[in-house]
Amino acid sequence: MTYLDHGATSFHKPESVYRAVRCALENCGNPGRGGYPATLAAAKTVLRCRERAGELFSCSPEQVVMTSSCTYGLNMAIRTLVKPGDRVLITGFEHNAVTRPLYALGAKVIVAGRKLFDWEDTLEDWKRALKQGVDAAVFTHVSNVFGYILPVEEMARLCKLHRVPFVIDAAQSAGILPVNMGELGADFIAMPGHKGLLGPMGTGLLLCGGLPVSLVQGGTGSMSREQQMPDFLPDGAEAGTLNVPGIAGLSAGIAYLQQAEIPQILAKQQHQVQRCVQGLKKLGMRVFSGDHQSGTVSFVPNMDCEDAAKILAQQGIAVRAGLHCAPLAHQSAGTLETGTVRVSFGHDAAAWQTGNLLLAAEKLTGYS
Amino acid sequence: MKNCIITFRSVTPAQRAEDVLRRAGVECTIQRTPRWMEEKGCGYSLRMPCGDMLVAASLLRNAGVSFRSAYSLGEEGRVEELRL
Repeated sequence: MTYLDHGATSFHKPESVYRAVRCALENCGNPGRGGYPATLAAAKTVLRCRERAGELFSCSPEQVVMTSSCTYGLNMAIRTLVKPGDRVLITGFEHNAVTRPLYALGAKVIVAGRKLFDWEDTLEDWKRALKQGVDAAVFTHVSNVFGYILPVEEMARLCKLHRVPFVIDAAQSAGILPVNMGELGADFIAMPGHKGLLGPMGTGLLLCGGLPVSLVQGGTGSMSREQQMPDFLPDGAEAGTLNVPGIAGLSAGIAYLQQAEIPQILAKQQHQVQRCVQGLKKLGMRVFSGDHQSGTVSFVPNMDCEDAAKILAQQGIAVRAGLHCAPLAHQSAGTLETGTVRVSFGHDAAAWQTGNLLLAAEKLTGYS
Repeated sequence: MKNCIITFRSVTPAQRAEDVLRRAGVECTIQRTPRWMEEKGCGYSLRMPCGDMLVAASLLRNAGVSFRSAYSLGEEGRVEELRL
């Protein structure tokens, strides 16, 4: 199989990730729940993951809260900053993980920046919206559909200038692009553990500038006589038993990235995206590409997207078709009715993968 | 040798402190905080020779690891709270 769906989850993880999961299953008890070796080993495993993440994202280990997914982290962050009726600024490329919690809260959503790959337009629109007054902002670092890398550093700076609290959705950037909690000054940054960070599914991180609202309450292994959740990080945001095997794998994934050097991984992905763009355009596809593009590219074939993905799958190519849980992004790009086929490269991006894709995509050209 | 205890509100700062102290050559053992020392329940602590306590407190402050209290464990179970 030629796996080109890393935007959904990373596949073929480094060997060290599999080993770490197995090791945790064999050696770890429940962290923070006792003083015997197996529980202390589990707590140390979790601490190592927090430390590695803190080092990668420039924050303290205590600011790293373990979640089950990026979506879970986004929900915590949004529920902390947004009240019903608040005016919340988002970009035109947000995932349902951002828009659905806002809808559920009854927030007034203001969309700014809808032109793909155009930083000038995104920033002008962002500034204009901030000047009109908003209560909070939530924005993605990279569009999961189109791979558009948004100018988050400047967007964050503008939010701070207007004293607007903000959340960054790093679902498609963590482990791929620099994400610096200290420099961005975000209230929260949410990310999955299983995509760019190469950990197992069921893991995620929420980097916290302050204590978030906990979506669930329960045991934390601390302050047990108190009926309120602990008022400190990370315990105050982590009720219940942690996914220690998953966290062990995530920790190994982060360690792998720290050794492999993230900029080199991104450069490999972007190089393959450029080759894809050229190849797919030659085949007559409508391809979405431009400056500031990560390792993801979307195209519209001359046939139904789902059918195209099926034909590609029959030839061993794993890509995703449809709306990618981001109808707003499709609305912005004018592909809400058609959807797109998305190709997303991973840490192992290589020329042979692009070659296989383009060869298989030739089979899509006979349709109209 | 007289032993002392530094208490922490949860396992995360306790294990961070353990790492900081061990890296600096201060020998310590992590343990559950005795119930009578932890009013709010379920804390962790580090046990070490009392002679290392001042150095330990300074190392932890410099590393940004917060601790709750410190105690010396005397003979016949006598305990004294320390001000570090």
